Amino acid sequence: MFILSFLARRLAQGALIVFLVSLLIFTLLRVVPGDPVRLMAGGMAPEALIEQIATEMGLRDPILVQFGRYMGGVIQGDLGQSFVRPASGASTGGASFSDSTRGERAEVLTLIGDTLPMTLQLAALSIVFALIISFVIGVPGGLAPGRWPDRVAFYLSSIFISLPNFWLGIVLALLFSVKLGWLPAIGYHGFAYTILPALVLAVELSPVLIRTLTSSLATIMTESFVAVGAVRGLGRARIVFAHALRNASVPLLNILGIQISGLLGGVLVVEFIFDYPGLGLLTITAVLQRDFPLIQGIAIVTSAIFVFINIAVDLAATLIDPRLEY
Amino acid sequence: MTEAKPVLSVRDLTVDLVLGDGPAAARRPLIEAISFDLKPREILGIIGASGSGKTVLSRALVNWIEPPLAIAGGSVTYKDRNILTLPRGEMRALRREIAYVGANPQGALDPTLPVGRQIVEKLRAVAPEIDRKEAEERAIALLDAVRIPSARSRFHEYPSQFSGGMMQRALIVDALVSNPAFLVADNVTQPLDVTVAAQVLRLMRELTVRFDTAVVFVSSSLPTVAEVADTVLVLEGGRVVERQATKSLVSAPTHAYTRELIGQIPQLWTDTSAPAATAEDAEPVFSIRDATRSYKVRKRGTFAAMSTVRAVRNVTFDVFPGENFGVVGESGCGKSTLMRLLSRLELPDSGVVLADGKDVAKLSGKELMQFRKNFQLVLQDPFSSLPPRTAIGAILEEPLRTHGERNGKAIRERVLTVMHEVGLPASLYDELPLGLSAGQRQRVNVARAMVLAPKVLIMDETLSSLDQTEQFKLLKIFEDLQALHGLTYVFISHDLAMVRRVCNRVAVMYLGEVVEIAGNERLFFDPGHPYSRALLSAVPTLEARRYKPEDCLLEGEPPSPIDLPPGCSFASRCPNVFDRCRVESPALTVRGRSDFAACHLVDPHGETARELVEEPA
Ligand code: SF4
Repeated sequence: MFILSFLARRLAQGALIVFLVSLLIFTLLRVVPGDPVRLMAGGMAPEALIEQIATEMGLRDPILVQFGRYMGGVIQGDLGQSFVRPASGASTGGASFSDSTRGERAEVLTLIGDTLPMTLQLAALSIVFALIISFVIGVPGGLAPGRWPDRVAFYLSSIFISLPNFWLGIVLALLFSVKLGWLPAIGYHGFAYTILPALVLAVELSPVLIRTLTSSLATIMTESFVAVGAVRGLGRARIVFAHALRNASVPLLNILGIQISGLLGGVLVVEFIFDYPGLGLLTITAVLQRDFPLIQGIAIVTSAIFVFINIAVDLAATLIDPRLEY
Repeated sequence: MTEAKPVLSVRDLTVDLVLGDGPAAARRPLIEAISFDLKPREILGIIGASGSGKTVLSRALVNWIEPPLAIAGGSVTYKDRNILTLPRGEMRALRREIAYVGANPQGALDPTLPVGRQIVEKLRAVAPEIDRKEAEERAIALLDAVRIPSARSRFHEYPSQFSGGMMQRALIVDALVSNPAFLVADNVTQPLDVTVAAQVLRLMRELTVRFDTAVVFVSSSLPTVAEVADTVLVLEGGRVVERQATKSLVSAPTHAYTRELIGQIPQLWTDTSAPAATAEDAEPVFSIRDATRSYKVRKRGTFAAMSTVRAVRNVTFDVFPGENFGVVGESGCGKSTLMRLLSRLELPDSGVVLADGKDVAKLSGKELMQFRKNFQLVLQDPFSSLPPRTAIGAILEEPLRTHGERNGKAIRERVLTVMHEVGLPASLYDELPLGLSAGQRQRVNVARAMVLAPKVLIMDETLSSLDQTEQFKLLKIFEDLQALHGLTYVFISHDLAMVRRVCNRVAVMYLGEVVEIAGNERLFFDPGHPYSRALLSAVPTLEARRYKPEDCLLEGEPPSPIDLPPGCSFASRCPNVFDRCRVESPALTVRGRSDFAACHLVDPHGETARELVEEPA
């Protein structure tokens, strides 16, 4: 009962958020300088032709009309077609102008559908890495506040936070791929190609997780149920792992929810460096090519994902700690 | 009969507080050279004021001494072994036989897991041979035995869904589930309301007989200890100053400290110098008419449904000039909301509050200023209600300035006069409140209210955080102030003994309603409402009780003020309940000339109908 009402409420909120994000992105894309039709048609195309294409595509209608038309499609699962990419694959555009009709252009949904799983795989792996790193470093730190494990956790997280991701990506690629030959780095031809970029993202994610885990675990360990637990006859390991960590994981989950939303920036950089064929790379090319429908599609899909992640995180947190029900 | 071998022997036990590290550390003994034996099935009471070392002692008995405390010497012998020197692993195995219940029931269990599951977890941690199913059955059976209603479903609820009293019972179950040889109960009733505390005490006694457990019962309240213990140990300054059987300790204390303790215990019935009821022909200063205040809260687990918490329901009474009016009740009875209504921090949803004959809701501008000046509130917590970085003089000057006084010299003089009146030395004028004791802080709070020369002081649990001695002194000051300025006091309190000492008339609240209004004498000697009798029967006292808990106190706790059933709100706990109570709410009915009670058994023609329900003597 509680879960249903919770989901209903949060999904309604989420739909509103996605709608507002779409509206914002849609408007912004249309007020920034740079005419996509000019880019599509090529620098040499005559002005009249450009106007004709633009009018045909509806790009000269008022923004709200365009938005309404677009959202009508989105609701039916149609994110439109790319301005630039043909259905065959490689992107067109640039100087050569071909009079391709709209039907030959790639579906945004397909483009996203091809790349999203890659990025989800990358994100999932990096979260797993980040959690392993932060538990290994953070739990001893939280159990010994003020002593050396705590300081180690503090120094390590300070170092991690000051490593720029592009730099770390290049260094790791040079070390593990070029020098040692342990792991592949560039492109994607199998799961092993996910490991290095995921590691870079994990290092970026972990400092905040380490700090949160250390401090919340240290606080929980001072709660009276921990001391009383020992007097009640519970073993130390049981108190730490079954009770203290359980309590400490609630703030950790909340931070993780926020962190994942912040992961997007890292994904862009890392996918670009490792030439990893995910959503990040797709976004970069879409932005460079002013591929409006694709950018919009990506924005909607990512905001929907964030909404889902945050719902999942809150749900998990209330399952762990029933007092959070609201 | 030969003396049975003691369950527990304590010899020369000394625990130090260690400050600093290494050999240079300063050590100060908190308890010193304590020795006693605990016999099988005995309930041994340990009594001491705060700071006497009783919590340290109770923890040392279960080998729970952590830095900065350290065992400095002596032994606690259980089954021929000194448990203080046992290695961790062996000690853990002994936890099955040595149990402890503390004063903070809400913090004792992991808040994120169901209570029942944690009891099972503990049982299986100390007794791994018991399988889960059996452990569950045992926990449920015990929860049932401590009279937790519908134990089977309560088993799956979380600590936050348990009330304080319920949680304390659950922890007693947790302690007894492994059939321990002895149980240390450290101040277990302290956080509980009187009627709930009385139930827990009754339970402790029953359980020791039933489970063959010896108990060390530690408390700061002698009447509470006397209620359960066979023998009492008096602790002062970390040493045992007296040890006697409970009866002889109370009747013939040998040590001066014990005598002092006993002397401080307020008496409800022996002392007959209670304030008399006041004449009621004057114009009331306060008059509250049929006031109701509800709050809306979202229902758990629903989309948008709201429930109504009815915090104060149809409350009507008058307060006359120069009287001490008491409002008593247990937590959640609505007395704090009532205080907020009286001091116009909130307005009633319906009904009116009249101050000096004027509806407080309609006051504004000058009149409101005047009301604020005349009706002052003194709050409960002496520690958080003073700004820490403002000098005491400045704190006391502020209300004068707010009310438009500009003459610096006059202000200072007024503040010094008031400080003198409440017993604060003038030298504190420029001090910060940081170094003040609880009693002094409370005086500053009273002085802050007094500088404006109010007519009425509303005291919200003002004295409950102070110890007996301080309470006496402040009450004396209140008396003097009243004689000097003709003040009227409204005391909102859960402390019946204090009310008995100072109040002329008392209103008893239960679940948002005033169930009885009576003069002091009448309330304590001839209460009209079964709830008042239950309250009186539960007050910790050394006197012979006029009302026996066995007759007046039923199990259970007040139902939640959300979505109340029809009928009398006390029906679920009333020993005299009958059919009509469940369908029809009793109205406040006159008993004699001026007292009221809301019970169907009240006979409006003077006498209560007590005789009808009480067994013939
Ligand atoms: S009305 Fe009935 S239930 Fe209520 S207090 Fe009186 S006897 Fe008890």
